[in-house]
Amino acid sequence: MKIIEDSLQRGAGTLSEYESKLFLAEFGIPVTREKIVTAKNDAVAAAEEIGYPVVLKGSGDELSHKTELDIIALDLRDENDVRTAYAKITSHKDVSVKEVLVQQMIKGERELVVGLTRDAQFGPCVMFGLGGIFTEILEDVAFRVAPLTKEDAMDMMDSIRGKKILDAVRSKPPVDREVLADMLIAIGEIGLTHDRVKEIDINPLKILDGKPIAVDALIVLDKE
Amino acid sequence: MAWAKETSAVSTDFDRIFHPERIAVVGVSADNPFSFGSLIFKALVSIQYEGRLYPVNPKGGTFGDFDVYKSIEEIPKTIDLAIVSVTAPLVAETIEACRLKGAAGVEIISAGFKETGEPAGIALEEEIKKIARKGIRVIGPNCFGIYCPKSGLTMAPGPDFSRESGPVAFLSQSGGMSVDFAQMGLWMGIRFSKIVSFGNGADLRETELLEYLGNDPETKVITMYIEGVDDGKKFFTTLRDVAARKPVIVYKGGLSEAGNRAVTSHTASMGGSRIIWDSLLRQCNAIQVHGLQEMAQASLAFSLLPQRVYNGITVAGGGGALGVSACDAAEAFNLEIPTLENDIVEEILSVLPRPGSSATNPIDAANPFVAPGAIKSTLISAAKDPRVELQILVQLLYHFKSIATLSGAPSLRQVIPYKKMADAVKETVNITNKPVIIVLPNLKQELESMEIEEVTREARALFLGKGIPVLDSLNDALTAISHVSNYYKNR
Repeated sequence: MKIIEDSLQRGAGTLSEYESKLFLAEFGIPVTREKIVTAKNDAVAAAEEIGYPVVLKGSGDELSHKTELDIIALDLRDENDVRTAYAKITSHKDVSVKEVLVQQMIKGERELVVGLTRDAQFGPCVMFGLGGIFTEILEDVAFRVAPLTKEDAMDMMDSIRGKKILDAVRSKPPVDREVLADMLIAIGEIGLTHDRVKEIDINPLKILDGKPIAVDALIVLDKE
Repeated sequence: MAWAKETSAVSTDFDRIFHPERIAVVGVSADNPFSFGSLIFKALVSIQYEGRLYPVNPKGGTFGDFDVYKSIEEIPKTIDLAIVSVTAPLVAETIEACRLKGAAGVEIISAGFKETGEPAGIALEEEIKKIARKGIRVIGPNCFGIYCPKSGLTMAPGPDFSRESGPVAFLSQSGGMSVDFAQMGLWMGIRFSKIVSFGNGADLRETELLEYLGNDPETKVITMYIEGVDDGKKFFTTLRDVAARKPVIVYKGGLSEAGNRAVTSHTASMGGSRIIWDSLLRQCNAIQVHGLQEMAQASLAFSLLPQRVYNGITVAGGGGALGVSACDAAEAFNLEIPTLENDIVEEILSVLPRPGSSATNPIDAANPFVAPGAIKSTLISAAKDPRVELQILVQLLYHFKSIATLSGAPSLRQVIPYKKMADAVKETVNITNKPVIIVLPNLKQELESMEIEEVTREARALFLGKGIPVLDSLNDALTAISHVSNYYKNR
């Protein structure tokens, strides 16, 4: 994959959020509509193309903790919001932000996590569980060794304590388990076919009208 | 680390290893009757191994009724298996001699290899691997070897192991646990096809042995104690494949997390060895247990219960707080204790002591002294409910002690109708075609009541002799049933 080769050549240990999603989309994983811009006017144009509301995030190889750095602006509803947010993010006092990601705003209330790790003994393993801040607080996750069968993927969803999050809740439709299963299988396949992909975090994976969509993603590369 | 590739040229004659007709025991010493070699030789004689035994020691002489051979070469004709207990530096040349003599396999009991962590020991183990690749299969080093009741092959501490063959196989890195499990099997009613303690696993180890047992017609249930695996990916695919055909019960030791790993993502930071092992075992539909006791209890259930999913059960007994606690416990194991139909309840109440009994399920027989005939009628009635698939009968034998004391009976055995109990339960199973598990707690263990312990053991043996599983507590019984049930549910 060209994205990976290019990143390794410039010595990057991770793909940016934007690159990570481009890579994941190649494997049929649904991701947010988004665009990288380097000028305020382009940000407005991108927002109009994607459709309001949008999110603006500072982008770059080393900017993987955007919330902590305060280079993220949510729920921007018009041109004025976008211009103000762009100016704020690009004038951050501690980090130099040269690129900005304009992204579709997903208002899903349910946050899941999907990931990949490499176990020293068993090789690539896929993770699924509760996402967002609950990933670390509740540690309600399940793993499966790749390759995953369809049954593995379905059983994995039933393995977490909070599995009811996938059902119809508060007038929201149930999560499309077929799509989610295909996604878990695809992550395992990436692990088996792409040695340079060391770890993957898709967190949060949100649910929009019952369909999962990757809102943030991080791919860690094997530089060795 | 790929043993499969390295040894693929050698076809392994497992039958000659597990059912050897001619065994050389190297390291037998008339001067040292407590050396491992001497002990294992005596154990083989004591368990009445029927094949030919050849003790070997460079000094020659005799050992008991046997002439000692000064070398492997001196043994007439060939050997099938050698059991080697000589000092580590002499092991390599010994097993090479065994290979040249035509042995299919060798058990290396000797220690002093990789487990020492010393370069010298590691180098000696490499020597063993090299010879193994030339065409002899190695069990060990640093192990207790093989116990196979059918052939009479046994371990050093196993002169009194059972010669009765059974459905359970055990693979273990730990020799001590192999012996413990074999000993527990004697009284718990577990019979083994094979136990292999493979120690350091220089050649034959978990994955290849698992594959062998998966195809072994003598083995119906496989149990394993694992500390680490050699080839994780091959182990995963093999376990998945074998567990699809036979239950594989796994006790994974050493699950605590070792230090902080250098990782970037949340996924990697959460994917420690414990959760990966738990997930892998579930993915393969292996039965995970967390101790030797639980492994033994599950083995008994897989050995003796009809192999199927269980949903509805009854719990019957007298004189204990069965009711609420049984229901709570069952729910946690995904088992249901259905309320019995009215006509069945009436039928049961007509034979149990009144007032005081309750027959809705759990069935409380008011006191622990209900006659075996009434217990039999009760269980037969309860089994008429189609939702009931298995019955648990809790027998509180220790309460009979007070009856014996009050009635002045000279012996507890005179007041406990335990032979009739065993007959009644066996007849119930035959009539209803639904299994019964007996729970025999002994909560009266003070020194003065040793007789209760004796009677409890006798009762256990009586029930087991009729093929009825016996466990110590209701919780143990529910755990064992749920292991069987979950295995077949997910298969």
